[in-house]
Amino acid sequence: MDRQYYLNHAAGGLKMPIGTHLVLHEHADHASIPDDGRRLGGVIEEAARRFRCPMALPLMDLKLEKEALLLARGIAAAEIDSFHFDETPADDWEVPLTRKMDAVCEAIHYIATETDLLPVGMGIGPFSLMTKLISDPITPVFLASDGATADDEEEVGLVERLLELSSKTIRLYLNAQIQAGAKAIILCEPAANKVYFSPNQLEESYDVFDRYVMKLNHEIREQLRAADVDLIFHDCGELTDGMVSRYAALDPAMISLGCSRQLWEDAALIPKSTVLYGNLPTKQFYSDELVSVAKVRELSNQLLERMRDVGHPFILGSECDVLSVPGYEQTIKAKVDEFLKDG
Amino acid sequence: MNDSHPLSAAIIAGKRKEVPELVQACISAGESAQFIVENHLVPAMAIVGEKFKNNEIFVPEMLIAARAMKEALKILEPMLVEAGVVAEFNAVIGTVEGDLHDIGKNLVAMMWKGANIDVIDLGVNVPPAKFVEAIREHNAKLVGLSALLTTTMPAMRETVKAIREAGLTPKIMIGGAPITSEYANEIGADGYASDAGSAVDAAMALLKS
Repeated sequence: MDRQYYLNHAAGGLKMPIGTHLVLHEHADHASIPDDGRRLGGVIEEAARRFRCPMALPLMDLKLEKEALLLARGIAAAEIDSFHFDETPADDWEVPLTRKMDAVCEAIHYIATETDLLPVGMGIGPFSLMTKLISDPITPVFLASDGATADDEEEVGLVERLLELSSKTIRLYLNAQIQAGAKAIILCEPAANKVYFSPNQLEESYDVFDRYVMKLNHEIREQLRAADVDLIFHDCGELTDGMVSRYAALDPAMISLGCSRQLWEDAALIPKSTVLYGNLPTKQFYSDELVSVAKVRELSNQLLERMRDVGHPFILGSECDVLSVPGYEQTIKAKVDEFLKDG
Repeated sequence: MNDSHPLSAAIIAGKRKEVPELVQACISAGESAQFIVENHLVPAMAIVGEKFKNNEIFVPEMLIAARAMKEALKILEPMLVEAGVVAEFNAVIGTVEGDLHDIGKNLVAMMWKGANIDVIDLGVNVPPAKFVEAIREHNAKLVGLSALLTTTMPAMRETVKAIREAGLTPKIMIGGAPITSEYANEIGADGYASDAGSAVDAAMALLKS
């Protein structure tokens, strides 16, 4: 797609939340909508219209790929959330799309064929999916960074095998979304952060980060490039500068980072062909003590001013999806409305 | 704090494979299991917590240290049971219903164990009734509730309510990325810790209050 699309919206002062979850939960039957592609498409469109956003941003559900991989493995649906591999699966297995994945594809098709919005798909990143498949992913990553191989430590081998399976499942799902009409994909790697990779070890070497995170994300980038689909890369975890620089090397159309990053400083790490997106602290919007409406205005103005100063293409938005928190819906909406206002 | 003892140093550095031999050396030197825990393990984990608070080490190093501590406890716990030694305090911990995240909860559990608190870990996605049942069964003095997601924070309120409505009075601590001390006050919890490093001090302050 033409990358100028994103740059033009940034230059035009677009502001947008990733707000589909917020709008979905206004519907009484919100639990059943993600199973119904046409209705899901309607909610995605409703969110885009509400927030005056030209991109139809999907519901951020990063559990879909784990569900698909494990259902295909014969794991009972009720056990999927808590299931972890404790032995390395040697065999391969076919992974059919689940009902929810089909619904996402139907929603994308609806957006692509019946609206003027940009159809956007979504997937979890391979590293982040792997972390959901094993009870302790941090220790083997640390051991691998310390030089251990699959021959030295069985759990290192397990992580490496699960990364392969994760990547395969994600690519299959992304391909289905592309076939359905997605013109951009939000790839979410929130677990590739300083919790899973020790900054002390990263000071010595990024070798394991490059092998476990970047290599597989570059493969996905090539998959998207071959289909002329843009990458919107998202990682709201706490990151090092080295991680941000590596993400920039994926050449995403947009990059979305969490509120622990100062975007005006990150601008120096990211080429101007990539729009920076974010990063208001929307996870704290439920709390008036933490972030008042006035604070949202102050942070928005600060971000807009500083990004203007550094001259980097920028779209003001949320640090992640804006989640609907039971009991706090009105205060969250008031803060979203505040940052969408002209300052 | 003492990190000069070889066993403490091995735990701090996460040298799991060296730990069993070092524990055996302590036992051979006539140290009791309780002495080893109180003088080598607890101080080692306190140093780990301090280093974490000071950003000298990070989550992976804490987990590696905990793994090394577990190697020591594998040898020492049967000896403690045999000698009739019980920890001064006990705690029930879990991630609240609807939330599957366990890193923060595991770190706090590990730091509490490292402070010689007997920890019953209920895992993730724990319904309020299961907390109530476990508190009752173990007569727990401390409860830790964890949530990573803003969407699952309301389950903390439900859990606190269920515990109090059951007539149980353990000290309740909450924590997790979106949690604040204001939220702890709002839902009637007794305390809050912003990270695993400060969770021990906060727990001890509550238990000794």
